[in-house]
Amino acid sequence: MLIINNLFLKKGNFKLNIPFIEIGDKEYFVLLGKTGSGKTLLLESIIGFHKIEGEIIFNNKNITNLPPQKRHFGFLYQDFALFPHLNVEKNIRFSEKYHSKNSALFNDLVKFLQIKHLLTRDIKNLSGGEKQRVALARAIYSKPKLLLLDEPLSAIDPTMRNEIMKNLKELPKRYNLSIIHVTHNFREASYLANKLAIILNGSILQIGDAKTVLKQPNSLEVAKFLGFKNIFPVSLLGFENSHSYFSIDPNQIIISKEKLNFDFCFEGVIKEIMGITDHYKIFVEVMNNQFFIKASKHILDSLKIKNNQKIYICFNKKDIVFI
Amino acid sequence: MQKIFIVISTILLLFLSIPLIKLIFGIPINTYISTLQDNETINSIILTMKVSLYSTIIVLILGLPLAYLLARYNFFGKSLIESLIDIPTMIPHTAAGIALLITFGKTFENIGLSFIDSTTGIMFAMMFLSAPYLINSAKEGFKNVDVKLENVAKSLGANSFETFIKIVIPNSKKDIINGMLMMWARGLGEFGAVVIITYHPMVAPVLIYDKFINFGLDYSTPVAAVMIIFSIIVFIIVRFLNNKFN
Repeated sequence: MLIINNLFLKKGNFKLNIPFIEIGDKEYFVLLGKTGSGKTLLLESIIGFHKIEGEIIFNNKNITNLPPQKRHFGFLYQDFALFPHLNVEKNIRFSEKYHSKNSALFNDLVKFLQIKHLLTRDIKNLSGGEKQRVALARAIYSKPKLLLLDEPLSAIDPTMRNEIMKNLKELPKRYNLSIIHVTHNFREASYLANKLAIILNGSILQIGDAKTVLKQPNSLEVAKFLGFKNIFPVSLLGFENSHSYFSIDPNQIIISKEKLNFDFCFEGVIKEIMGITDHYKIFVEVMNNQFFIKASKHILDSLKIKNNQKIYICFNKKDIVFI
Repeated sequence: MQKIFIVISTILLLFLSIPLIKLIFGIPINTYISTLQDNETINSIILTMKVSLYSTIIVLILGLPLAYLLARYNFFGKSLIESLIDIPTMIPHTAAGIALLITFGKTFENIGLSFIDSTTGIMFAMMFLSAPYLINSAKEGFKNVDVKLENVAKSLGANSFETFIKIVIPNSKKDIINGMLMMWARGLGEFGAVVIITYHPMVAPVLIYDKFINFGLDYSTPVAAVMIIFSIIVFIIVRFLNNKFN
């Protein structure tokens, strides 16, 4: 188990400030954040490439001041950082000089990641997906207890991503390790993560079970980052609760010429209708708030509505996310 | 514009190559044969190449750590150190010879070692004046090695020194070898500082000067031509091998 306590690091004007993170055995932890939010810096701090304030505990041992080679963590960079002067097999076997040779593990990795045909190849001639698999094999062959992945899918052809994501998801159980995976991609995060943290400007804004974080952002900032739409003050709904804002999915809003029997129905004016290939984006102004609604072409054509026309937008309470 | 540039470049290339071509091809073959049979000339050329190689190896051992520090880290006084390394390329070589003489001449004498008129003196002169070529080239080579490669090597279990030997050096060896070659070649031509410290045993540039002063152009030209041919042969072989294996 990895515990990070009060980690602080300053690089130029950028400050990384992580009060607490706990990652369990065989857990797939995803750190989701924009470019420049400090994700890579945090990974590099965990493995020991930067001197930090605070402490990092791994399996009850304080490893804060241990050099990277003594932490036994694997690291995978975005561009994979394969050694240019070594071929594929020598890249994978690099750690043999420092850990024991393990033919069974080597063969298993070669089979699991389907890289047997690449072993004698020069790394310069590999595609992005092949490089990624080789780098993954090299990292796992050093038998890490924690694998740190820095945007591992960003340099991969989109057609290969699903297959590689399946492989990644299987790693913790198959090789008895925990993973910290940093990404800016929500799809990756929602598919892979058991546990998820949102990082922005060097601080963790929300951390917890992946499904909860993705469905229930705890702040306006997180909600906006996660792409929540139609975020308005709760007072618009006509009541008060412990939350300040609510959000409603544009797909869950029904548009109608008459008031419907929904929990909430507001009269508004159509401001803009944008036709996209298979649906319409409709912007409706309700009490100085602009709602965004997605509607199928079929529905919109049957309604025959135009700009500046009065309309009702309706939704149910169960579809509301309170922030 | 391209045509004008080609013309200007051709003028410069002719200026650089014609004197060498004239020197090498202006000597009859029998003069070459007699020069190659002259022990003094051959011994002088071998001494020059050998001592320049020794100084290159010493600077390689001492200079690589410095080049690595300069390439990888920013620290107070870095610009000063970089300027210090480049100073020998800017000062008159005779002045450098005098500086070396007053610094090491007496010191060596006091501990019973020879410096004046010794190969050690030649080596010091070559090291002092040619080291920047090797250090700067290695520094550029190290800068081109992605620091992420080093980080990954450490994550795989290698310590900093093992990472330097197994990752940094192999990935910058082309620049290091080029730097060695430049330093070695520069050492072969060192005259100003060497002549102040060590007139005897004579390195090739001193021998060429000596023959020119005492016997005239006809006697110094063949020595100069042979020295240049030998240097070019070694230079081409090393460059070829370096490019082939990188």
